[in-house]
Amino acid sequence: MNPALTARKVEFRYGDRDILRGVDIDLFPGEVTVLLGPNGSGKSTLIKILSGVLSPRAGDVLLCGRPPRSFPRREMARLLSAVGQDPPVDFPMTVEAYVALGRFPHQGFFGGTTSEDREQVARALDLTELAALRGRALSEISAGERQRATVARAIAQGATVMLLDEPTAFLDIRHRVAFYEVVTRLAETCGVAALVASHDLSLCAEYGERIVLLSDGAVAAQGRPERVLTPENVRAAYGVEVACDRNPATGAIRVTPLRARPPGVET
Amino acid sequence: MSRGRVETARFGTVLAALLSALAGAVVLSTATGPVSIPFGGFVDAFLRGGDGTPARILLSLRLPRALLGVLVGGALASSGVAFQALLRNPLADPYILGVSGGAAVGALTVALFLSADASPVLPLCAFLGAAAAALSVFLLARRRSGVSPERLILMGVVVGAFLNAVIMLMVTLSPPGKIPGALYWLMGDLSLGTPRRVAVLLPYVTAGSAVLFLLSRGLDLLLLGDSEAFQAGLSVERVKTATYLTASLLAGSVVAVSGLIGFVGLIVPHGARALVGSGHRRLLPAAFLLGAAFLVVSDLIARTASPSGELPVGAVTALAGAPFFLYLLRRNGGRS
Repeated sequence: MNPALTARKVEFRYGDRDILRGVDIDLFPGEVTVLLGPNGSGKSTLIKILSGVLSPRAGDVLLCGRPPRSFPRREMARLLSAVGQDPPVDFPMTVEAYVALGRFPHQGFFGGTTSEDREQVARALDLTELAALRGRALSEISAGERQRATVARAIAQGATVMLLDEPTAFLDIRHRVAFYEVVTRLAETCGVAALVASHDLSLCAEYGERIVLLSDGAVAAQGRPERVLTPENVRAAYGVEVACDRNPATGAIRVTPLRARPPGVET
Repeated sequence: MSRGRVETARFGTVLAALLSALAGAVVLSTATGPVSIPFGGFVDAFLRGGDGTPARILLSLRLPRALLGVLVGGALASSGVAFQALLRNPLADPYILGVSGGAAVGALTVALFLSADASPVLPLCAFLGAAAAALSVFLLARRRSGVSPERLILMGVVVGAFLNAVIMLMVTLSPPGKIPGALYWLMGDLSLGTPRRVAVLLPYVTAGSAVLFLLSRGLDLLLLGDSEAFQAGLSVERVKTATYLTASLLAGSVVAVSGLIGFVGLIVPHGARALVGSGHRRLLPAAFLLGAAFLVVSDLIARTASPSGELPVGAVTALAGAPFFLYLLRRNGGRS
């Protein structure tokens, strides 16, 4: 199958600091890829480059075989949606109006709101369990609810490639699980190619078909969870000792931190 | 779905109320003045096309002045809405960004040193001044990482202070006979409302407000911030440039005709937001009407409050505006 989004040898630097040094990544339709990596390993920068917000210093990004910036803006947004790390705290609109902004690529400046738009917004609110909060101001709901609203906006955008930067950071365990369920369902039923940046090692092993482990701006390992989530890989990337075994209930890889001082911490 | 209909109905009600308030303000302002005009005078002026003294006062003095208030108030409020969305900052308005100062320098150059008449090029020169000020603020605030709203405001304040000094110098160095008029104009003044000026301003305000309205969905998206707006499918730079130029054109053309009238561009958008929310398709028309009504009433107060003569309308808007702004800030818990 052809990947929906490819990046080859992507390099990026801020000033004289290398952020990405030759990253290759492929996102396939119908597949959830999880992007792991310690803070500062370049996950957010990679997502900004894949979504065309930043241009790579070297290397190529191809969305459906073309550079992202070669698409007209709205056409590209119909193919690819992305949400950043910081949900807007002070956004002066209701949850519903905020989610409806995701329909812009289908409406343009002058188009009215169609019944299709309303259906997609209602569906996105349902999937993120926000229907009851639709009339509340974004500033009046909790950080986790706001984060679900950003995910709902990306869902309402209806793109085939979804890039989500730490969409579960503020979520409780119930909504974390619900998020992965929703994104897996979108992949299976709508053929969405999803990239989810995360710090949930065990949870992403349950749901991620593929894991890309980023370390210091380069791909340290990628593939099936059991190939990527090994004690050696986790130690090399995060500097933490972990035990990796199979969850007896689900059979998925389970990563458990071991109580030990991380390197550099003296007694 | 029914929620949407309820909201639309509510918006219709608010808009109708604002329109009636504006119409009421215009009628009241036209009817009030040092010369009291009997009802027959109105009939004579508006229905029979008469040319008696009452009719002339109504048609060539009071009505143009009220209509100038409508255009100026509406344009300032619309421009304020646009700048607040553009900079994602509730404190943004044409004044704080130095745009009005630039417009004043442009207009003064024409008025003091070239031609005294209200020529159609006056709004154009004011616009050039406004655009030049806006551009220099933008370039000064720009860094490699982009333009942050905070830096734009900071640079706007600096450039605005500099332009104020330039304005004072220009006034001081101008031909002596023109100084009082220029000073009065600087404080904000609608007394120059002649049918001709209304006609000069009308196309600028109509075109500028229409363009902003067409951009309204883009302004909604700009509230998300640059990266997210881009990812949502907006040509961010294009929309920002168009908004910047249009808002400067509106502010500039208005300053050319009525001088520096403060606070309308800052507070009216907040008041309109409290009525219809932040979606720009509703906010822009509501802010235009509210700004227009606010300025017509302020001008009525300016004309009639003091027995010893007219107050500058800019003083009235600031006197009424500052406490209202504080009230809004406190009511929203400092959020908006």
